[in-house]
Parts: sequence; C-alpha cells; structure tokens
Amino acid sequence: MKKTKPLWIVGALGIFMIILVPVVFFLPRVAAGKDDPQAGVPVHPVHTSHADIVQGPFATPQEVTAACLKCHPDAASQVMNTAHFQWVGQAETVPGHDGLVEAIGKRNLINNFCIGIQGNWNKCTTCHAGYGWSDASFDFNNPNNVDCLICHADMALYAKGDNGNPADGVDLVAAAQSVRAPTRENCGYCHFNGGGGNGVKHGDLDSSLIYPVANLDVHMGELNFQCTDCHRTTDHQIAGRSISVSVDSANQVSCTDCHSSTPHQDERINAHTQSVACQTCHIPAMALKDPTKMVWDWSTAGQNLPEDHYTYLKIKGSFIYEKNVQPTYLWYNETISYRYLLGDKIDPSKPVVMNPPAGSLDDPTAKIFPFKLHVAKQPYDTVNNYLLQPLTAGQGGFWTSFDWNSALQLGSQFTGIPYSGQYGFTETWMYWPTTHMVQPAENSLQCNDCHGSNGRMDWLALGYPGDPMVWGGRFQRR
Amino acid sequence: MKNKMHLNARTKNLSENYAPGGVRAAGDGGKSNFRIDSKWITAGILLLVVALAGVGIRLAAARGAQVPQAQVSPLHPAFAFLDPSGANVLTSNTPISTMKTCGQCHDTNFIASHSFHSDLGLSDIQAGKASTGLFGQWDPLTYRYLSQPGDTRLDLSTAGWIMYNASRFAGGGPGITSRSGQPLTSLVASANNPETSVLDTATGQAVAWGWNQSGTLEMDCFLCHFPVPDNQARIMTIQSGQFAWANTATLQGTGIVTKSTDGWTWNADAFDANGLLLQAYVTVQDPTNDNCAQCHGLVHMDTKNPLTLPACTDTSYQQTASTGQVISPQKISESGVNLTDKESLTRSWDIHAERGLQCVDCHFSLNNPIYYQENAALRPASLLFDPRRIDLGEYLKFPDHNLARGQSAQYNIAPELKGTMRRCESCHDANKIHASWLPYVERHMSVVACETCHVPQLYAPAIRSYDWTVVTLDGQAAATCRGTEGTGAQATDLVNGYQPVLMPRTNIDGGTALAPYNLITTWYWAYDDNGQTLPVRLADLETAFLANGNYAPEILAAFDQNSDGVVDSSELVIDSDAKLNAVTGRLSALGLNNPHILGLVQPYSINHDVAGKGWAIRDCQTCHATNSRLTQPIKLASSFPADVMPTFAADTNVSADGQIYVKGGALYYQPATAAEGRYVFGHSRVAWVDWLGGLFFLGVLAAVAGHSGLRMVSSLRRPTLETKQKKVYLYQAYERFWHWLQTAVILLLLITGLIIHRPDLFTVFSFQGVVSMHNVLWVILGINAALSLFYHLASGQIKQFIPRPYGFFDDAIVQTRYYLRGIFKHEPHPFEKTPEKKMNPLQQVTYIAILNVLLPLQGLTGILMWGMQKWPALAGKLGGLPFLAPFHTLIAWLFAAFIVGHVYLTTTGGPRPLDSIKAMVTGWEEVETHEVAQKDKTVPEKENK
Repeated sequence: MKKTKPLWIVGALGIFMIILVPVVFFLPRVAAGKDDPQAGVPVHPVHTSHADIVQGPFATPQEVTAACLKCHPDAASQVMNTAHFQWVGQAETVPGHDGLVEAIGKRNLINNFCIGIQGNWNKCTTCHAGYGWSDASFDFNNPNNVDCLICHADMALYAKGDNGNPADGVDLVAAAQSVRAPTRENCGYCHFNGGGGNGVKHGDLDSSLIYPVANLDVHMGELNFQCTDCHRTTDHQIAGRSISVSVDSANQVSCTDCHSSTPHQDERINAHTQSVACQTCHIPAMALKDPTKMVWDWSTAGQNLPEDHYTYLKIKGSFIYEKNVQPTYLWYNETISYRYLLGDKIDPSKPVVMNPPAGSLDDPTAKIFPFKLHVAKQPYDTVNNYLLQPLTAGQGGFWTSFDWNSALQLGSQFTGIPYSGQYGFTETWMYWPTTHMVQPAENSLQCNDCHGSNGRMDWLALGYPGDPMVWGGRFQRR
Repeated sequence: MKNKMHLNARTKNLSENYAPGGVRAAGDGGKSNFRIDSKWITAGILLLVVALAGVGIRLAAARGAQVPQAQVSPLHPAFAFLDPSGANVLTSNTPISTMKTCGQCHDTNFIASHSFHSDLGLSDIQAGKASTGLFGQWDPLTYRYLSQPGDTRLDLSTAGWIMYNASRFAGGGPGITSRSGQPLTSLVASANNPETSVLDTATGQAVAWGWNQSGTLEMDCFLCHFPVPDNQARIMTIQSGQFAWANTATLQGTGIVTKSTDGWTWNADAFDANGLLLQAYVTVQDPTNDNCAQCHGLVHMDTKNPLTLPACTDTSYQQTASTGQVISPQKISESGVNLTDKESLTRSWDIHAERGLQCVDCHFSLNNPIYYQENAALRPASLLFDPRRIDLGEYLKFPDHNLARGQSAQYNIAPELKGTMRRCESCHDANKIHASWLPYVERHMSVVACETCHVPQLYAPAIRSYDWTVVTLDGQAAATCRGTEGTGAQATDLVNGYQPVLMPRTNIDGGTALAPYNLITTWYWAYDDNGQTLPVRLADLETAFLANGNYAPEILAAFDQNSDGVVDSSELVIDSDAKLNAVTGRLSALGLNNPHILGLVQPYSINHDVAGKGWAIRDCQTCHATNSRLTQPIKLASSFPADVMPTFAADTNVSADGQIYVKGGALYYQPATAAEGRYVFGHSRVAWVDWLGGLFFLGVLAAVAGHSGLRMVSSLRRPTLETKQKKVYLYQAYERFWHWLQTAVILLLLITGLIIHRPDLFTVFSFQGVVSMHNVLWVILGINAALSLFYHLASGQIKQFIPRPYGFFDDAIVQTRYYLRGIFKHEPHPFEKTPEKKMNPLQQVTYIAILNVLLPLQGLTGILMWGMQKWPALAGKLGGLPFLAPFHTLIAWLFAAFIVGHVYLTTTGGPRPLDSIKAMVTGWEEVETHEVAQKDKTVPEKENK
C-alpha cells in the first residue's frame, strides 16, 4: 500500500507532462522579437548627495578639484588620460599620411568652423575640461587643473568662461555641492554648442535635447536617456568618437550595443542592415527643432554688414543655417580615408574634404550612413597651397583687427606653418556623422523614401549601377 | 547686400556640390558613354537593354517636368510628328495623328485593336452582343447612357458619349469606328441616327453631327506614355467637340505645341532641321502610377506634399469615389486629410505604392515578355518556368495594350481577361508568411481573400448612395458618402473612413472567398420605351424637376415641406405620396410611359490600399466571435425613395446572400455566414443543437442531483448496513494511467471546445492558442485510445467490456432496479465486482456506446473538420462544416453529460462515496463479497485503512 502512493504521483506527473509538453510545443507564437534593448541599458548607482560633504570656501577652482581628489584620489589622473582633457590622442597613423604621425586632436587640428585653437586658447578652451589653458605652456600634468564641475555640477550653478576658468560670479561651493552623475546638460554644455553656438557643429546635437520632446529623439525624449546610457564610461573614459577629430573607430558607440542587428519583423527590412546603417532610416532628418549651420563663408568677414546670428557676423562672416535637414548619404566603415593636417597641400580649384568617410560599395564592412556636410570657405596660402589657421580670438587677432593678413601672419607663428603673405579663400568640406535625434519605426524612412523615382539616394554616386531595388543589392551575386 | 547676394549665388554652387565630388565626376563620365548614337540599330539594341531595366526610363521620366531635360527618355529615338495623311505637322500645321506618328515604329493598328481601354465594349456591339464596357453599358453613377438605334429619345449619341466621357476614354475604338465597323467619317450626318447626331441641350432636340468637321478621336498615346500630359486640356478639347485636336492638346505644356486663341501652333524650335522632335523633348516612358491616376482615381506619389482628398462624390476620381481607395506611399499620418485619430495611422495608404510598385507591375501588358506567364491551368504541372518568350523587339513593335486585369465586381470590360493579373498569391506565399501564428492557414486562405484582412479599413470616404429619383439644382443626384461626417463634398470634412462589407467572391477558378466591398445603392426612374425599360434621361429628369433655374412650382410645392422656398437636402427625397405623385405626374406629362422607381445595389471591389502585417486584421476574435466582422452590417442609405427596396446587381461575381433590412428608417445590408457552406467557429452556432445538448446535460445533472439527494435522505433514515467487504486489486497500473490520461484530455477537450464555441464568454484566452491546444489534445487522446485498445486486446481485458449475451437484459434490469430502489434501501450491489468482472451490465453497455459510438463519431467529425484544410472535398462531401461542426458540438454535450453521470455513479460503488475514485487511483477497491466463503480472501478488512 505504501508503495503505491509515489506510483500514482508519478503517474499523475506523467500525465501532466504528456499533455503539457506537446501543447506548449505546438502553441502558435508571434514571431518573438529578438531585440531586448532594455537589457543593454546600464543601471546607474544612486548618487550620494554632496551637499553636506563638500565644505568651502574655495578661493580658486583648483581648490575645488583638490577637495574632490581627497575622496576620489584616482579621478584626476583618469581624466588627465582622456581626450576630454588632453585634446590629443596617441601618436598614430593617419589615413592619407605616411608613417606615424604625432598625436593629433583638437589641440593641433584645424576644422572648417572656427578653424583652429592655437593662439585662440582664451576662447576655445572655454570647453576644455580643465582650468587656465591660456597658452602653449598649460600644465597638462597638474591634477588640480582638471575641471570636475563641468561634468558633475548642476549646470544651473556652474558655467565656464575664458581659458576654461569658471565664469565670473560662479559660486564654487554651491556648484561643488551640487555634483552628481553627468546629465545631458553637462555634456551638452560643450557638445551642443561646438563651433561657437547652439547647433553649429553637429546637426543632431543641440540644446533642444536638454528637455527633449518625445518625438525629437526616441532615447533621450521618449525614454529620457542620459548621454552616459549609451556613451558608457569606465574610469572617466567615455565611449564614442567622431570623425571630426578621431581617425579610428575604437571604443565607438553603436546601436547594436543594445539592439539586435536584425531587429525588424520584416525580412526585407532586416536584409537592409548589412548595407544600411540604422541611422540612415531612423534619422530621416537632423536639426529637427533648432537650425544647424550648413555653410560658413569666412571670406565675407570683417565688413560692416547688418549682423544677424543666423546670417552674418562681422567677426565670422556669412552663414546659412538650416532646419529639418535631410542628411547626405555616403558609404562609411566608421573610419575616414584622409584627415587634413596642418601643412597638407591642397588643390584650391576643388573643395578640400578634410575628413572624407572611408568605405565604398565594395567594402563589406561599410554601410550607407547619414552625414551632415558642412561647407565652408576658409583662408589658405595661395603661394604654398595649404590651409592657414588665422589668429582670431587671441590677442590682436582677426576679431579685433579685422585684418586677414595680420591674423594669418600671427596664426602662423602659433602653428609653425609658414605664411607667404598671400592668401585666398577656398572651399572646404567636413562630414559629421548623424547619430542622434533617432526616430522610432513609425517615423523612420520607408521604402519609397530611398527607392523609386522620388527617392533620396543617389544610387549612381554610391556606386550602384542603379536603384538596388530593381538592379539588385551589392551582395546579390555572392 | 551685394555680398549677401554673392554668398547666395556661391551657396547654390556649394549645395550643388553636396554629393561627393569624385564619385559625381565618374558618374557624369559614365552617363556620357550612354549617349545615343543616331544609328537606328544601336538605338534598337539599347532600347532592348533598357526595356529590361525598365526602371531607368521610369526614373528619368519621373524627373521630366515641363522644362525639357536632356536624356529624359534616353533610348527612345527622335521622331517626326505626322498628321493623319502622313505629312509632318510642322508643314501641314494640322493635328497630330498618334496612329501615324507612333506607327512609324510601333504597329499602332495592333495596339489599337488590342486595347480594352480603347475599345470599351465597341467590339461586343459589333459582335451583336450587349456591351461589357463603358460604351453601351449603363453606369448608374454617371447616369447618362448611350442611346441605341430605335430609342425614341436620344440621350448620348456617339459624339455625345465621347464628350460626356472625355475624362475616362483614351480614344480609339468608338472614337474612330462606328458600331457597324465603318470609319465614323464615312457616316452621313443625320439627326435621326444616334451615331451621327448629338443632343442639343438647349432645345432638347437631336441635331446632326458631322464627323468630318469634328474629326475623330484617335487613341492618345501621350496620355499614358508622357510624364506630364495635359489631360485637362485634352478633356476640354474633346468637350468642345474638336476631337481631332484632342491628342495635340494633351501635349500642351511640353513646349512642343502652344495654344493661342486661334488654336494650336507647333513649336518649330522643338524640332530639328529634319523635322524630328529634339531629343530633349522625347520623354516617352512606361506608364507611371500618375498616368493611370488620370482616369482611375486618386494617386499621390509625392511624399513631400501632404495628400488631400477630392470631394467624395467626384466620380472623375472613379476608384476613389466608388471605394475610398487611394494609391499613395505617403503615411496616412503625414497626409493633409482631416482624419480621425490620424497621428496614430503611421502606415502608408498603400503598401505596394510604398514598396515601389507601379500599377503596370501587376496590370502588365499581356505579352510583355518580362511578365508573361503561361496560364497555370494549361502549363504542364512539372514546369516551373517556361523561358520561351517573344523577342523584346517583337514586343516593342507589337505591344499588347490589353492589360492584365483582376476580377472586379463592377467593371466587366474584356471579361475574357479577368484574372489575368498578378494577384497577391502570384507574388506572396501566404502559407509561409502566416504559418508561424495562424492556425488552419490553408483553410483561411481558401475562404478568406487576402484583402479581407489586409484592407481592414478605408481611410477615405466613398459614395454610399446615389438618388437619381431627384435632381439637385445643378443637375446632380442626391448623393451621400460613407466614412465622413458631413457631406464629404468639402476637402476639410472630418473623415472617419469605413470598414468595407465582406461578401463571397466567386473567383475565375471557381473558388469562393470572402472579400471586401463597398456597396453603392442607386435609385432612379425608369420608363417603358418600345418594350424595353430605360432609365429616364437626365434631360427629361431636369425638365421634370427644374424650371428657370429653380425647381418647378409643382415640385417645389411637394418637396418644400417647411415652406421656406428652398428644397434642402433633407427634403430632396421622395418620402411621401405627394412628392411621388408630383414627380410621376411631371414625368408622365413628358410622354414617358409608366415612370417607376428602381433601386440597385452595386458592389465595388476593394483590392488596393493594402496594409502590411502590422496593420492587418490579426485578432482571431475579429471574426470568430458573436459580433463577427464577417456579418457586420453596412448602411446602404439613411433615407430612400418611395420605400423601394433595391436589388443587387446581377451578373457580378459577388453573392449577396445576406439580407437587406430597414432599421430606424435607414437601409442596411447584413451578410450571412450560414449560406455558401460557411461555418465560422466562435460565431456560427446551431441553436437547437445547443438547446438540446444543454438540456440533456442539465437533465443528467438534475437526475444526479435528485438521485444523490434521495440517497442522502435515505442514509439519514437508515443507517448503513454492514456488508462484507474485501480489498481487491482491481485496476492494473496501465489501466489507471490510460484512464486518467483520457480523463484529463477529455476534460481539456471539452473546455477548449467550449472556448472555441463561445470565445466571447472566455475572452481572456488566446483563440488561436486554444485552437492549437484542442488539436494537440485530440491527437493525444487518439494515441492513448489506440494504445489502450491494444492493451485490452493483447491482455484479453477487452472481455470486460463485452456484455454476456445470456440474461443480459435481465441483469441490466436488475442493475437498473438497484439504482432506482435498492440503493436507497442500502441493499448490496446486485453484481459483485471482481478483477475478472469489474463492470455491471449497465456499465458495459454504456462504455460500449461511449467507446464505440460517441468517441469514434467525435473523432471522425473532428478529424474531418481539421481536414477541411487538407481534403476540403472529402469533408465537403460528408456535409462540410455546417453539418460536421454542430454534430461535433452535440456529441460534446453528450460527452459532458456522460462525465457527470459517470462521476456520480462512481460514488455508488463503495461504502464511501469516494471509494471507487480512490480505487482508480490506487488500484485497490473495497468490494462487497456476496459469497462469504471465499477462499482466497487474503487481505483483512481493517488493514485497508
């Protein structure tokens, strides 16, 4: 009798399994989404309020840093190792140049916005994560020169001024007591205002992202992401880079950090992902709310024309700002095929592309990617045929003298690039990858936006024989 | 300022250079290699190459605007414009003849004689048949009709028909040839011949029409093959009676011809020294969606400018007005339509437009070698692809302009071509797409047209009713629209869209599937004319209703109910005898014999505006529910004239097997599912089956309740008699196992079956999940039953179930008597339960019935129901779902009743109610011993506890 008891339990279990297993096995299931992006979102530790920890008074911002370092002894050395502080990377090979090139970065590169920082530190280093960079002799090895507050203070209580020092009137104690993990406002203080104003450099980053509406960016708007949710940070090394200053793709942030590479329900759309970057369809347009600078013509600067922030400033020349801009599409393997370095010869009859994205139809790692193309006219040496970096904000520079010749002469003393005394203006292009202002599926591009007679892609320019919808894709014959 | 302008000019250059310079240069170089050699052979070869590419032309053509661009049609050679005599129009300054001009290379006679767009039914008339097309077939929406010889009243003569239908006739056919096959220009003008006269609207009299003066209307090649034809200029030219110039007018705006007050002048600058059109003006292309749109409906290929809707009664947008179909890749949310909940509608109007398909991809030229496929019914079954095609050169010379067409309910032109089109299943494998989630895929696909789920809703209004029994002051019918608030006449009216009605469509292959339709109901006056019934001419209708720009006094007196001097839209319906008599009297006074009102319901097929998977109907209970989408009524009219019930149009491929009914003064049509052998689980029920089954079940329940009540009462009255008991090992482990497995499966089958039967009562369950579970369960039941049968056969235990023939009835009576009387007196069971004979005679006969009748019947009906998808013919022969499903339900009720009785009777087995159930768990049961001196009594009573 006692033996039978377990037997019927076993029997009951057996019956249960015999029914359950096939029923579950054959249950119709909706194609399970392979995508679980939430799993990739980092969990931030709850921050301890520093209101009662930080004690003033602080006479100098360096004293604030010293106070921080008492409890966070490694923080400064970590920051000092980053591009945010150094403004250069390591010596490396640069596409289009032979051999190892000395470390490059914002410190010594030029762009087609404010052109270059050398000699113009007073204004440019407003966005340096340090204090007091006013000339070439700045001490990059002094831990107290690290600006902790720009990333960690409540930006309602902190601002930076000339040479990266706190702006006049900043209450250092209040700012230091407000520290916490960086918010969009911290990062945006510099990254939304690069190039000298809101939305100048990036078409996809501007101050509308501080309090973004849901349909401005699905991550920051609808989901209230902070920058560091995607730009993950270890030891103050923040992931992510841009081809405006970087030449490699190491430590890049990618959609696939969280999303599957084939997350769509539709097979046809998933088949696109080996040739089309996520950004291409999910960022149909940039500068959705605030306009971005598309064209900057330095050649008209210095004249007494009516001034307007969006069209003309005497110190900077003429601009064109555009809103809701359709990006330019190019093949891109996350690197560049060339970077203009000071002294590189140019052909003034053609636009100088300072950072052409690398990749082509034949490069299986490349994808069609959206870029903001910024076009400028900027000074060059008509005798030596290279671009020149003028002294602008610096002492006696163009912004006070309005004399190109002297500004270029002075600039060449800082850059070490000889100036012949003859200058002209040439067209330059810079590409800025578009990766923010991401739209959810409902607002992303659909087939006819690229394919067919009204499509936005220039298929021939991309190297296709014709619209791949009818001519076949690049992997068709493999 | 100067500087600013300089910058702007500069920026333009900059912007032009946005594309990467290097690549662009290469692209330009590549293009220049493509430039045409003037030699014909080269051109011909290149023509073939591009015909293959197809899209190249399309791309180029789409860019072609009014400003001629180089190489818009790079591979079409330059050509001369010829007049009907074959002379260059530049010298003769006459209208272009498309037949002569295009006929220089293409066989225009072949094209014109192979084009239903041109023929429009003329060839039917020539063959002595009733016309299947617009030329001769009456369309109650456009109302006016082609008069035939012998009609006493002329409505539309041939010339009148051409002018009236200018917007829907591509020329050729009846535009150049008479109904007897003669050139129209050879006919002698006569006011008495509907082919050579026209109705003078001022006098109401027919006057002669001279074809040599008007010229004839050749097929207009430019209308479909030029990117921006000026259809409006063409229509106006036709309506002014200048047929010969119509095709020339189509070229207005291209720069090839200009119009002045004197007429048209050919622009010599558009031609070279040899009189050939300059290459820059050669924009010949495959027809785009925009070309087709000119006559067929609203097409909006531009994604940048928001789409807006025309007035819903504007029948010049034929397809849109009649169904609400709009062809556009634009997201509905981005359109300019004032649409309820628009922001959430992030789907495109039509997914095929979104995905880059053109109308001609499905409605292709029937001998286009790219698309041509042999009729599947004629092709050897083993042949997947027949590579033998006509040569591209042959095709370009003889392109069949009969386009592949579908199986529309309303448009009957070229019926022999119905079903030649690429339909959903020509490109999509529905079985594969739906396999992962949709149970009974094959069954669904065979009875439900793809459109039913994939066109769940139209987002533009469509005509609901057209009441021609009255006319408005501007000579129109009193029309109403569905899918909009307000009249739908304004582009700003709030649009809600509508859900089409689902009706069985009989396909060319004989299959019947439910498909979506709009129903348009028309009422109109008819009269007897020489023994035939004709609609009252619009001219007569206007005479009856109107006088001096207002309603005639008699009409006004009858219709102006509130006496405000105006007949407003709510008054403009014949809803009283006074109105009816007023109109009848006025019509009779015109000499119309027996004027009476007829009503006609016409189904209009809905095949476009397809939605992708995310927007299609996917919830099973949309249809599998009491309020099923399949029987959702559609309103035919809010008010209708003289209580005339309309009838469904005959000769369509749509079966109107539902019913038209009046509710609250409005007219509705509700489809029925019961007809046509459709039984929809969760929706269809046979009431008497459920009543009978339910009553039987309740009866058993009541009997059990009564019996057990009596037992309880009796046990209170009489203490239990001590009977001799002994513990017997009755049930082997396997027997218990199969019994309980069967119990669980049958219970679950009953539960899942009930959910499938009445999903509206159990909405928490996923319908498709329950359906799948039901299917898995019956397979388990089948296997279990088969194994158990084997066990019983192999072990000989089968004998247990077989009643002894001798004295069976006596025994049964004894057992029955025990249940009816003995049990209350606590008499011992009449038959001893032993391992050799576990069952009493009643049990035996019950199980025989259950296992040999009910179970097999239930299995058989179930398998046949499942088999509707695999062997529909077999299941159909055995009654189909309408028989099988209710039968299955009835047996399920019997099973449920059996279980109640069976469980109850177990409580009668032992001294304690649960003894028998315990026995089926443990195998051991205490049974009464009738013979005390049993030798092998091994287990003492007490030990059993």
